[in-house]
Amino acid sequence: MSRVSVRRVVRVLEQRLLTLVAALTAVVLLVLFYYPVATVFADAVLVDGRPTVEPIAAILTSEFYLVDIIWFTAKQAFYSTLASLALGLPAAWLFSRFEFRGRETLRSLTILPFVMPSIMVAIGFVATFGRNGTLNRALSAVGLPPVELLFTLEAIIVAHAFYNAPLVARVVTAAWESVDARTVETARSLGANPRRAFRDVVLPQLLPSIGVGATLTFIFTFASFPIVLALGGFQLATIEVFVYSRVRDLAYAEAASLAVIETVISITLTAVYLRYEASQRSAGGAANPLPRRSVVPSDWTPKSALRTAGIAGYALIVGLVFVVPIASMVLASVTGGDGGFTLANYAFLAERQATGASFQVKPLPAILNSLAFAAGTLVVAVPMGVVMAVLTTRRYRGRGLIDVLAMAPFAVSGIVVGLGLLRGLVFGVDVLGTRIRVTGALAIVAAHAVGAYPFVTRNVAPLFARLDGRLVESARSLGATRTRALVDIELPLVWTGVVAGAAFAVAISIGEFDSTIILAEGAGSYTMPIAVERFLGRRLGPATAMGCLLLLVTSASFLVVDRFGGRWGEL
Amino acid sequence: MRLELDAVSKRYGSATALDSVSLSVDDGEFFTLVGPSGCGKTTTLRCIAGFESPTEGTVRFDGESMAGVAPESRGVGVVFQNYALFPHLSVGENVAYGLRFTDPPGGGTRDERIAELLDLVDLAGFEDRDPDSLSGGQQQRVALARALAPGPNLLLLDEPMSALDARLRDRLRRQVKRIQSELGVTTVYVTHDQSEALAVSDRVAVLNRGRVEQVGRPRELYHRPRTRFVAEFLGENNVLDAVVESRPETGGIRVGVGDAVFTLAEGRRVLGQGGSASGDRAESDGRDGGRPARPAPGDELTFCVRPEQLRVGAETNRVRGTVVDTEFQGATTRVRLDWGETELVVAVEDGGEESAAGFEVGTTLDIGFAPASAHIVE
Repeated sequence: MSRVSVRRVVRVLEQRLLTLVAALTAVVLLVLFYYPVATVFADAVLVDGRPTVEPIAAILTSEFYLVDIIWFTAKQAFYSTLASLALGLPAAWLFSRFEFRGRETLRSLTILPFVMPSIMVAIGFVATFGRNGTLNRALSAVGLPPVELLFTLEAIIVAHAFYNAPLVARVVTAAWESVDARTVETARSLGANPRRAFRDVVLPQLLPSIGVGATLTFIFTFASFPIVLALGGFQLATIEVFVYSRVRDLAYAEAASLAVIETVISITLTAVYLRYEASQRSAGGAANPLPRRSVVPSDWTPKSALRTAGIAGYALIVGLVFVVPIASMVLASVTGGDGGFTLANYAFLAERQATGASFQVKPLPAILNSLAFAAGTLVVAVPMGVVMAVLTTRRYRGRGLIDVLAMAPFAVSGIVVGLGLLRGLVFGVDVLGTRIRVTGALAIVAAHAVGAYPFVTRNVAPLFARLDGRLVESARSLGATRTRALVDIELPLVWTGVVAGAAFAVAISIGEFDSTIILAEGAGSYTMPIAVERFLGRRLGPATAMGCLLLLVTSASFLVVDRFGGRWGEL
Repeated sequence: MRLELDAVSKRYGSATALDSVSLSVDDGEFFTLVGPSGCGKTTTLRCIAGFESPTEGTVRFDGESMAGVAPESRGVGVVFQNYALFPHLSVGENVAYGLRFTDPPGGGTRDERIAELLDLVDLAGFEDRDPDSLSGGQQQRVALARALAPGPNLLLLDEPMSALDARLRDRLRRQVKRIQSELGVTTVYVTHDQSEALAVSDRVAVLNRGRVEQVGRPRELYHRPRTRFVAEFLGENNVLDAVVESRPETGGIRVGVGDAVFTLAEGRRVLGQGGSASGDRAESDGRDGGRPARPAPGDELTFCVRPEQLRVGAETNRVRGTVVDTEFQGATTRVRLDWGETELVVAVEDGGEESAAGFEVGTTLDIGFAPASAHIVE
């Protein structure tokens, strides 16, 4: 081929590439998300190939399911939401109205709980509130009787607040900072006292963001799995936990029916949420934000002293909820039965690695699997997420539908996706007479990628939306194809978002538990969170040690991706 | 390159942005689309550039239909209002971007071409600067250099000056015009500023609500607007609705506006048969073929008189009004008169520091105009 015709072929490819990747993304979603979810739905409404409502009707008429499972799930989600608001709103107040050292750092740290493996957080809570946990050690040290917090609703709620209060704090802080000080000044000049001005001017501007934070928290906690599994056991089971227990008992139809009910509720909630979010998307930093004051008052009045005391008390609670569990886990991993320092738990892991039987969970394969799946997730989720970000920030007919279809993985729990993949592609599917099977490992990467790419999209899309469309148009009028414009102009400008999204994808993959525990089969595909859970069932020491390894690997991967990307971002 | 738009329409759902727009721009011409915001001028430009495709109608470059031709294959240079410089590239890299896809015109090297263009826009030596470090006017000139670098057949300018302050705008406008005539590149310029349109263009198309109201040379549009919209949009004007009273033997038309009676000369617009009389480019308008040639007594008509054609103390077509307010504008003073029927604006040449005497609010003033200075519009 001559050079000219090679050029022409490349150009034609370039012109079609974006469409091609978009189509590929659609196929991936269809095969790895919609098809598996449909499989679960089919399991719920088909018995021997005939449609029936019996399994679902059986659940909806059973007092056990309605009260003990579904009602309990909603109840714990509601309380968790209240707790998250109670813990998160003061943080938003501090972040937006006060100036103190480390404010920016603390604010960016609020992203961390979100990427922490939930099973690790569960371990942290066990290490804190368990019978021999930090709390009871502290109580006995001062001569108080021990308390039993594990396997109670309270433990679950606090753990959920650990995850979601930072989320509430983030969205409300953003809204608070975008309140224009001039609106308050206008109200004051018209005669409102500070309290009245807050109620009439500031609060109405915060309410939508509080609504967003609360709805998201409810959605997440409604579908919470590892936390409830580890801290509630099967005695306090949410729908999600019960689906898992049904799957373990091979009662697929019942599991599927429960999963369908959960999915329908979650999707409804998500639809409400998306509507809510769309109505307040414009929030950006105000040109004239409200002034900040120092946390340490310049003159001490009873009022300011009370405020400072309140802030100090709040800081103590924050420390207790966020720092103590992680610290307890690290501490427990190096504490022996006698309370002294020991490396026995790590030695146990090393020994298990060296001499463990093939059916036993070894640490090294878990680490390697986690890293391999994370790499696979990265490769699949980042292009998918970026293309989705391009598609969801452009205007065209049917855009709303694309938005919903693309964000659906947000609303569908990992358990359902895992179950669908297991019942479909892992067990095997007949396509035109050929039996198609994928291995558990592939299915895990698929499930992780489907769970992770919305985070890439959410990190990248706002940056795309902020890009002036005329940049691309200028590039195109200068001769660049759509793909070249994406590569030359848009990607360099949204690179920080891509990197952040990639870091999220890695962290989510490493911490993913819900679908992995369903899909992990034997030594080939269990990951670190699965290993933690297996150990947790038997002894706490090795579980905390494994949890520390998980913490290390998660933080390291997050940092590596971020650092690596940071360097590239400067090019 | 010759550009033609043949009955181009663009609809978004039920909203019509462009309604059968037909235009033709000659090779090397500086052609301006002017109109209020939302009139469709930017949509027209985007259809030409290929960022939008017309719902109906055809865009042709040198007679060749552009339907299905991607923006990158059209050879069109575009400059936007907000410059749209690539923020992660230096000034030189911005200008060079189009040369990634084509060889520099004129046979030189890429670097020579960049230097040549930066020199053309008076930014020689700015290659390594960061676009953010430049002033608005400088950024706009970089955008112009970038658009011209690959040697486009057509230059599209979308309100390129509106983000700049007035003085800078005037200077840059002259510079753009000079570069354009030096290079001889066919140019379509979009603006909402009628004085800008009249100042730089070879020809102007006035757009309103997605339709072409009139196309013509600036002087022609100013002095012989075809429609009321054009008369009011370009410059200041007194537009009056009248009823024809009689057509005296001595020529002209006598019309009544309220109690007042005016004599208008019959302009070419009225005598002529349709659009061919209105100018030398019948292909671009020609919507008025069915208009009655001679208004008969009892017919309603609309005519306009420019403020500078209204004279204090004129002999013909006299009316008496009360001064409502005055605005000193340097060379002239705009005097607004309440004359019972409506308000009239008179431009009075300034005669020095004390000359405003007699124009105080509340004083009465006799003004009039020559029959030939009135112009009848649709």
